[in-house]
Amino acid sequence: MNKVMSTLLWPVIAIVGAFSFAALALGRGETVSAVWLVTAAVCVYFIAYRFYSKFIADKVLRLDDTRQTPAERHNDGMDYVPTNRWVLFGHHFAAIAGAGPLVGPVLAAQMGFLPGTLWILVGVVLAGAVQDFIVLFASVRRDGKSLGEMIKMELGPTAGSLALVGVLAIMIIILAVLSLVVVKALTGSPWGLFTIAATIPIALIMGVYMRIIRPGRVAEASVIGVALLMTALIYGRTVANDPTWGPMFTLDGPQLAWALILYGAVASSLPVWLMLAPRDYLSTFLKIGTIVALAIGIYYVAPPLAMPATTRFIDGTGPVFSGALFPFLFITIACGSVSGFHALISSGTTPKMIEKESHMRLIGFGGMLMESFVAIMALTAACVLDPGIYFAMNAPSAVIGTTAANAAQVISSWGFAITPEMINQTAVDIGENSILSRAGGAPTLAVGMAKILAQALGGKSMEAFWYHFAILFEALFILTAVDAGTRVGRFMIQDMLGHVYKPMGNTEFLPANLVGTGLCVAMWGYFLYQGVIDPLGGINTLWQLFGVGNQMLAGIALLLCTSVLVKMKRERYVWVTLVPTAWLLITTLTAGVEKIFHSDPRIGFVALARKFSEAAAEGKVLAPAKSIEEMQRVAFNNYLDAVVCGFFVLLVLAMCVFTIKICMQALKQAKPTAHEIPPLAGVDAAPA
Amino acid sequence: MKVIVQDVPTVAPTADAAVGASRPGLREYARSLRQGCRQMFGIPDYERYVAHMTAQHPGDPLLSRRDFFAQTIDRKYGKSGPRCC
Repeated sequence: MNKVMSTLLWPVIAIVGAFSFAALALGRGETVSAVWLVTAAVCVYFIAYRFYSKFIADKVLRLDDTRQTPAERHNDGMDYVPTNRWVLFGHHFAAIAGAGPLVGPVLAAQMGFLPGTLWILVGVVLAGAVQDFIVLFASVRRDGKSLGEMIKMELGPTAGSLALVGVLAIMIIILAVLSLVVVKALTGSPWGLFTIAATIPIALIMGVYMRIIRPGRVAEASVIGVALLMTALIYGRTVANDPTWGPMFTLDGPQLAWALILYGAVASSLPVWLMLAPRDYLSTFLKIGTIVALAIGIYYVAPPLAMPATTRFIDGTGPVFSGALFPFLFITIACGSVSGFHALISSGTTPKMIEKESHMRLIGFGGMLMESFVAIMALTAACVLDPGIYFAMNAPSAVIGTTAANAAQVISSWGFAITPEMINQTAVDIGENSILSRAGGAPTLAVGMAKILAQALGGKSMEAFWYHFAILFEALFILTAVDAGTRVGRFMIQDMLGHVYKPMGNTEFLPANLVGTGLCVAMWGYFLYQGVIDPLGGINTLWQLFGVGNQMLAGIALLLCTSVLVKMKRERYVWVTLVPTAWLLITTLTAGVEKIFHSDPRIGFVALARKFSEAAAEGKVLAPAKSIEEMQRVAFNNYLDAVVCGFFVLLVLAMCVFTIKICMQALKQAKPTAHEIPPLAGVDAAPA
Repeated sequence: MKVIVQDVPTVAPTADAAVGASRPGLREYARSLRQGCRQMFGIPDYERYVAHMTAQHPGDPLLSRRDFFAQTIDRKYGKSGPRCC
């Protein structure tokens, strides 16, 4: 019976998928419903999961349920717990889904909906899901070891240390770029800032409740937290319109940057139970709830895609980010296709909770498909907006000016007809003063979501509420990430400093903690501030730096996976990891080198630095710098970005050399040489 | 590098997995649903811990609810790996 169902079901899914793609492909010149886009994606996921992940599970990795998993071996009822696979799927998904899949696709929408969609789908099936799955597998077979430890085990201690420095550098960039997204979303938005600020006392109340008033009652605390959060969201409008309170919550970019830097330093020094844990619960609830609501909303409203399939900006002249489709699309959309950061999660808590090896297929591969689905929805939300509105929100003020009239004129000249009235009306609809130049993905996505959710629930009058709800949802988990990331960064810095001067490595030693926290915050804060005053809007620089770093990390993780396969003597199937590795290395090395050396100052760091330093030498001041000192600072920042980018390029090349050396050695061996925990005979073969 | 394996559980480990194999009554179902939700959102589960300790390590000292939460939350957020972008 099951077999009949299966033979009937898969052709049906294939046909629905093909039909959806046909609707997308043939609908030239007329608008296509977003439902086709989402349906096509879902069909691809199902087919990839059913066939490709099964192939990897059975043939390439040969998952073995008689082997003990770390959760079985160390079952302690606390950290190591064999977990139901659907529950763990949800848990893993909540851990990997962050702001990444929401921001990248929105930025990439400037090239039209098709390039982004294709890269998200092809990338996730052949690269992203494969990486997450195999890293999870490798970690489970190594007793839940982390990515850094596994690189040390399989590729040697030098490679391990190098990778750790790389991870720290990428984390610093991520923290800076995520904070920049928040700054861009909250600049001059008292309603938004009030609700985000309110999450701090709300989290503190929850923390005290869970720890002191009613220890361990997370559900009760969460109900209180969510209720307070919604109250803050509703009354935010009143606060914003208040003559005394409104201006107090209206901050400009640099002020917000300083506020975030201060927040990062203080929040990461508080005990975890007081703010981080309660806020993390709040953001997880909101995250899952919003994603489900958006999926239902898209199917219920079935909005048409207003953005064309491709725009003229695939040639690299786009206002949102500069650089041609190859290679820059492939570093702009990272999470959603393939994200190196997931390798850290897949070798973090998840392997400690795997009940059986066969479950890794759903959790590793399936979890990443789910994340990719979020990216597709973010892309959809950006593409249902009028393209004129999209560009008004995402182009820097250096290009479109600071007034609606000017912006409308520039954007219309690109071929996306828009009037100043439409721009102003959108701002009024969402309850903001201005929508111009709010690059960073979050506000665009929020407007798209507000349009979809308001049509499904509440009508036009609710648009402002949904917009601020969406901003809250994104800012909440970005701030959680800033808090948690600063802590992790501090531990990594202390660990490194501990090798130089022993007491610095002691995490119980207060001065060492302060130095570690200070260094971490100073580093990401520097990049954040630089992004806020950047002439091209900051996102243009930082998101691409993050993209290069993140994809380099993915390349490193896939190199590790490749070496693991070769060491297991599965070289027959090594193409499974070698093909995505090669593609990632080609795109990111090209992008990295172009970001450094490209002669166009909108793309190359060195070219932009030279332009500003030469102008400064002649005594000229280029906008938006206001003095010669600022000119020199812009030049210095760009040289620094070039150095960071160069570091990523060299790092990944070094990892390539290590991997090739190790693989050559392993190929000469007759027996597997991977450092797995050997299967135990007898004790673990208990039937399910 | 060899990892020495210790503390091999003597009972089939699925015994205290989130969703039990047996399916009696609505109460049991509600319990496993609650456990599942807790695990999904990463909320420490004291009831499961108590069940685990009484089944596997009877006689060992049991943490109080307050201490259990203090320990698990501190450990989860204290030094855990980074979360995603």
